[in-house]
Amino acid sequence: MSLPRITHLPSGRLLSAILHHQRLLPSIIPLTVPKRAVIQGEYRRPGQPRKAKFPWKKINFNFSKGLEGIKKHFTLLKKEFTDRWVGPEGKPIVEHMLEQNRAVWEFRGPESLGEWTVSSDREIGGHSEAYLKLGRNNNTCFLYGTLSSTPPRDGETRYSGYCTMRSKQPLASFDRKKHHDWSSFNTLHLRVRGDGRPWMINISAETYFSHQKDDIYCYFLYTRGGPYWQDVKIPFSKFFLTHRGRIQDDQHPVWLDKVNTIGFTLGDKADGPFQLEIDFIGVCKDYAHTEEFAYEAYKRNPEV
Amino acid sequence: MKGSRCLHQLKSLRLLSHAGRLLPPAAAGNNGALFRPRSSSQLGGLQCAQREVLRHFHSSPACTKGQPARFLQEEDKTRDKSLVTHDDLFEQVAKEAKTKATFNKVIDVYTKGDIRRRGHVEFIYAALKKMPEFGVEKDLTVYNKLLDVFPKEVFVPRNFIQRMFNHYPRQQECGVQVLEQMENYGIMPNIETKVLLVQIFGEKTHPMRKYQRIMYWFPKFKHVNPFPIPEQLPEDPVDLARFSLTRMANDWDAKVTVYQLPCTDVTESGAEVTLPHIVGIQSPGQMEALAKHNPDRPVFVEGPFPLWMRKTCVYYYVLRADPTPPEEKIEEPYDPERCLSYPLQLDLDLDRDLGDDESFDVEDLDEGPVFAMCMTSQGDQATLNQWISGLQESNPILGQIPTLFRLGAGPRELQGVGDADSASRSWFPSHVQREEAHPGEEAEAVVEEEPRRSQGVKQ
Repeated sequence: MSLPRITHLPSGRLLSAILHHQRLLPSIIPLTVPKRAVIQGEYRRPGQPRKAKFPWKKINFNFSKGLEGIKKHFTLLKKEFTDRWVGPEGKPIVEHMLEQNRAVWEFRGPESLGEWTVSSDREIGGHSEAYLKLGRNNNTCFLYGTLSSTPPRDGETRYSGYCTMRSKQPLASFDRKKHHDWSSFNTLHLRVRGDGRPWMINISAETYFSHQKDDIYCYFLYTRGGPYWQDVKIPFSKFFLTHRGRIQDDQHPVWLDKVNTIGFTLGDKADGPFQLEIDFIGVCKDYAHTEEFAYEAYKRNPEV
Repeated sequence: MKGSRCLHQLKSLRLLSHAGRLLPPAAAGNNGALFRPRSSSQLGGLQCAQREVLRHFHSSPACTKGQPARFLQEEDKTRDKSLVTHDDLFEQVAKEAKTKATFNKVIDVYTKGDIRRRGHVEFIYAALKKMPEFGVEKDLTVYNKLLDVFPKEVFVPRNFIQRMFNHYPRQQECGVQVLEQMENYGIMPNIETKVLLVQIFGEKTHPMRKYQRIMYWFPKFKHVNPFPIPEQLPEDPVDLARFSLTRMANDWDAKVTVYQLPCTDVTESGAEVTLPHIVGIQSPGQMEALAKHNPDRPVFVEGPFPLWMRKTCVYYYVLRADPTPPEEKIEEPYDPERCLSYPLQLDLDLDRDLGDDESFDVEDLDEGPVFAMCMTSQGDQATLNQWISGLQESNPILGQIPTLFRLGAGPRELQGVGDADSASRSWFPSHVQREEAHPGEEAEAVVEEEPRRSQGVKQ
């Protein structure tokens, strides 16, 4: 948590006191504390230079890729038109209304790996590695790699050593954003086989304001380790709200009607190899679970 | 609770001391006697730190009659008046033993050196950085002592303007960083921390808010791990192996057998041979499954697979077989006498509706049965042979089943996460081979296959 920089002018005496303070004790601060303005624009990864790339330089003109793209998008568009005749979201209405379980991600072939993005702290200059491949018998996904918590030497990063696997945003025709609609479910069901490390599941939902862009709902995934598969059921009422990795004071349950991505991240400060095998990720409706939200709406100014 | 009473007294004391500032400086020394007769007797039960803290309730440092405390041994360290950063204080002490006592000594040297506590923010940052070296990063008393370095009552905002404008931002950020390091190491602050924060920063300030957040969220997430690991893992490798095997087996009936204890033997030629420990686990269900296994199909010893518990990684080996192909699967009829309270099998003509379907539409992964697991410090074939021969005593069918060894690259020895640098460096060269030999990749694995026929004599 860092204090916002004082952008407005305080009263004269206070200002001189602060400046005097800063001059007396020059900045040999061993622990660098990030200075962020209250209004945050695009997130700049620490260590990256602040120069801007002109928007017209990002376009890529390529004929064959363009043709492929047109074919793909028009197929998707046609599918969208024909799906409406079958039922909502391409499923018959009976199934849509009554379904209790839906396996959202199953890793049954190499194309299922293309839906996931794997990244580690290598992007900010760290030394961790993370790779994704298909597991034994091509039936599971296998996320493995090495964690290293030596922070990159860029002067502002203090902690490091994480890796993450995040699903890609589902896209409709012409790269329009599509969302997962899990409003009729209330539990996340995974079958995983880890190595005993504690992971964190991050769900990112569609938001309205730009300040909410990095809002992620998180919960822990504790793996037991060992050769047996582990069934994990986490109700959505347990997910708490975080923003840029910091848990927030104003908590509310995750809104399931427009879920964008789900992700798994590991950052348990233990250097060494890690592995996680996932069989499938599904959502289900647990009638026995009646809790709406596990955390209280926090009083903004509680008494000490 | 004593602490909350102390808080109330502090609030009343602050009001009194505001009034006390109007007194002439000569009487300031008697503040203690005038304004605190009642509280001193009540606070007599609190710890020394509190009493030291109370001493800072003087109206101004210039008024103190007491001399800065002199201590005899450390004079040679602090005599040196050259420009020295606070890190150097720790470096000097680090040449001797790096313990909690020396760390506390450095803090004492600093606090008693200057009544004005010049540069306390830098000192606290340096101390936070040095804590892991001295091994005190998980000690709450040391954090409280470090928070004690802040001068009290100076940074407390006195009116609404000061409260609005982030009074003393550097000190508040420093306080927040102390709490953040406590949060990183998972240490729960106690009432003494709260009292210190109130005295130093006041209420409704950033460090106090951070303390409140820690006190709200930590208890919620303390017991959220369904497979809890004790803080102190057993150090004896056999005990550690026993603990981790029972953890993985997930079966109360599983029995742990120690096939060999670690010992150092001296052979005839005088060379020292260290025998590793071999601890295995098998449950009665697994024994039955192994007894019914078809002797024509081989069983595999696979490994090493990693298991992490907090920061220690141990490796285990597995005895498993490939799944039986569907044509060889025999459906055993249910024995009705196994359970007399209700029938195990019902032949009803009922189907479940879509709305009642509680199973996932995912094909069940059958990876083959696991018959036993073991842990050993040295994962070579000789040791695993010993394990198999030990297993054979309780599962005689192993004598007829061919056993193949599929061992990956040798594991790093059982080590905790000591040095981050060396650990990260040592993983690099082995990572390449480890990637090839990882379980699950049958084509690329470094496979050592050696058919092992029936053996009666231990090799």
